Amino acid sequence: MTTQVPPKQRRNFLFIMLGGLGALLAAAAGWPLFRFLSPIAATGGSQVAIPRSEVVSGKAHFFDYHGKPAVVLQPAAGKFIALSAICTHLGCVVAWKEQDNEFECPCHGGRFSPEGQVLGGPPPKPLESIAVVLDGDQLKIG
Amino acid sequence: MSRSICCLFVLMIVAGWSMPATLLAADTVCIECHGGQEGRLGAPVAQWRTSVHAANGISCNDCHGGDPTDYAMAMSPERGFIGVPKYTEVPDFCGRCHVGVAEDYKAGAHGQAIERGGAQCVVCHGNHEIQRASLDLINEKDCSRCHSYERAALIRMSLVETDTMINKVGHDIDRLYRLGFSVDDMQDRLFNQRNVFHRTFHGVNVDEVRQKTAGVQGELGKINMEVAAIDSTLGERKLWGSVTIALFILTGVVFLLVRKAYEEDEKG
Amino acid sequence: MQPVKWLVEFVDVRLGLKDIYDHELRGYLLPRNVNVWYTLGAVLMALFTLQIITGILLLMFYVPDSEKAFASIQYIMNDVPFGWLFRMLHAIGANVIMIALLMHMLSVLFMASYKGRREFTWLTGFIILNLTMGLCLTGYLLPWSQLSFWATTVATDAAGAIPLVGGYLVEFLRGAPTVGNQTLGRFFALHVVGMPLVLLGLMGAHLFCVKRRGISNPPFGPDYRAAEELPFFEHEKHPNGIPFFPNYFVKDAAVICFFMAFMLAIIFYAPGMFFPESAFQKADPFLTPQHIKPEWYFLWAYQALKIFPSEIIGLGVQVVFMTFLALLPFIDRGVERRPAKRPLFVTCYVLGILLFVAISIWGHYS
Repeated sequence: MTTQVPPKQRRNFLFIMLGGLGALLAAAAGWPLFRFLSPIAATGGSQVAIPRSEVVSGKAHFFDYHGKPAVVLQPAAGKFIALSAICTHLGCVVAWKEQDNEFECPCHGGRFSPEGQVLGGPPPKPLESIAVVLDGDQLKIG
Repeated sequence: MSRSICCLFVLMIVAGWSMPATLLAADTVCIECHGGQEGRLGAPVAQWRTSVHAANGISCNDCHGGDPTDYAMAMSPERGFIGVPKYTEVPDFCGRCHVGVAEDYKAGAHGQAIERGGAQCVVCHGNHEIQRASLDLINEKDCSRCHSYERAALIRMSLVETDTMINKVGHDIDRLYRLGFSVDDMQDRLFNQRNVFHRTFHGVNVDEVRQKTAGVQGELGKINMEVAAIDSTLGERKLWGSVTIALFILTGVVFLLVRKAYEEDEKG
Repeated sequence: MQPVKWLVEFVDVRLGLKDIYDHELRGYLLPRNVNVWYTLGAVLMALFTLQIITGILLLMFYVPDSEKAFASIQYIMNDVPFGWLFRMLHAIGANVIMIALLMHMLSVLFMASYKGRREFTWLTGFIILNLTMGLCLTGYLLPWSQLSFWATTVATDAAGAIPLVGGYLVEFLRGAPTVGNQTLGRFFALHVVGMPLVLLGLMGAHLFCVKRRGISNPPFGPDYRAAEELPFFEHEKHPNGIPFFPNYFVKDAAVICFFMAFMLAIIFYAPGMFFPESAFQKADPFLTPQHIKPEWYFLWAYQALKIFPSEIIGLGVQVVFMTFLALLPFIDRGVERRPAKRPLFVTCYVLGILLFVAISIWGHYS
């Protein structure tokens, strides 16, 4: 392929083309890589169903709510409360203290009421509340 | 308990992928003994080997009972040996596993006429050389043995479309399976519809067949939509794949052109 | 360009990278008539790199347990975005590597590049070939499909032909009397870490041998002269040659692009090529599928075992053949490298290839 354009100029043009093609190929490789590594969105309905029998009066039932720890309890017969179990101080998971009828965070001693209100310690805000509805013998949370 | 497990097992395999399983089934003492016999005692073995039952690991004892591992008890009623069923006992014999078919058969014209010589399972399907059921079992030669072919032709017509659909869906699912897609759910549903389809025919009632096949086609239509969705995804992948292949080839060519440009410098 | 120039200066003053660039890249001269077969080394490095990357990605989702392995692969193929792509790249990539490896070996044989004091290059290369086959074998088991399970059973059974220790050796390879979770565990460890580490070391040694001795020139053309065998070490130079970078590097890059296009073409247009039906069925230790065969690159061994009346002879023949190949530079001591002047070798070479192809095809249909 003999042309009048000197090799160096031809090469420079070709390098620019290579740059463009390289960018496209990088995108062709990068996009699947990014999607592959991204967390997969949780499928299924946004509501979580828990059988009523699992939530005994006086005890708290911990469960997974869209990948995060949550808790549902029955402080009085027929009354249900669902809360995020993540302490609002620095993110540890709170524990239920049946004796004292309150939540206590093992990290820095933050205390919450059964309704999630801050009773003492460093937490700045109450535990996040989650909607809960009794449907037959299932608790629908979310 | 073990009977219903056996039935379930059989039914599961009838649907789809025939997994050659002659390693297990051929190890029974039944085959070992009868395989070496002449005449009517030995003939069933060769026949059975060609059958869809053999291909799915169902051996003599699964239908006739008895102990397949113990020569002494192989034909003992204590171990459930039934022996050869009488003509009128055949529907119940096969119905131990093919439950739905037996039900519909018994309620239909053939089943009602069995005492008078009405066709039962073996008459159409054979006994040991049974092949996977197909529409060809309904044909002029076989069905006009007892009555005129008109009625059979009518039923066959009402089955053709659904049969073709079932086969096509089966092929499509197989194709996707071979590409690594998870098709278990679709396979199960196809299997169910095929069962409904097969059992309904055995009532030999055209109106019933038309009604039920409409339902079957509806369900098959849903599976078809899922297959179409996957095919569309495949098409998309192929498109982007082709673009990337073209990009690579183009890049390779550009690199070669660069090489050529260097070659000119090398010479000069 | 100022910041880039500044950065280059900063690093160069500390590490002398410009020096390395001048010696190893721009100043590394190749013979003028170097042909396209010389690109296969770079192609193989690129393909192996791709295997490592896709392998690491697959590792994020794969579970090496006999109960969960198959399901984890199905998850990758169906539920992980582009999981199918990385799985196929890895599986098809393995096959393309075998193709490229065989091409590389064949071109080295034809050009007798193992001569001229390059025995170590050949030896390290040969071990790499065997290691790659080992990687293919161990990787094959990981999906825990019917194909995986039974191909591994057949392959490990072969060791049983060795007298005295055969039976124990088979159990040792499998970690148990039959292929099972123990086998999966050790094959996984070998495939993911053990063999790749050794492979990387060997590739380093192989490249070191190539660079240290110097690249050989193709034994073609009227100007070819056989290298003198001096009684001391000599690095073969090509003072009139072309710079590796960028002149020959772009050829490497071009062929790598074409190999990638080839691999993607298989993935998108013939994805079932290396996947028989039994690859999609979960392993069932009680049910042997009817037509289990090893992958195409092992068919020669599979058929060789079947041809000979006793397994030990079949195994022995393969060992003899592989040993011969491994020691070729010590057997073929002639200085002559031009194919036209080595009729015996070229005859054996062509017959060998034909035999390999014929036995493999026979193995496929038997």
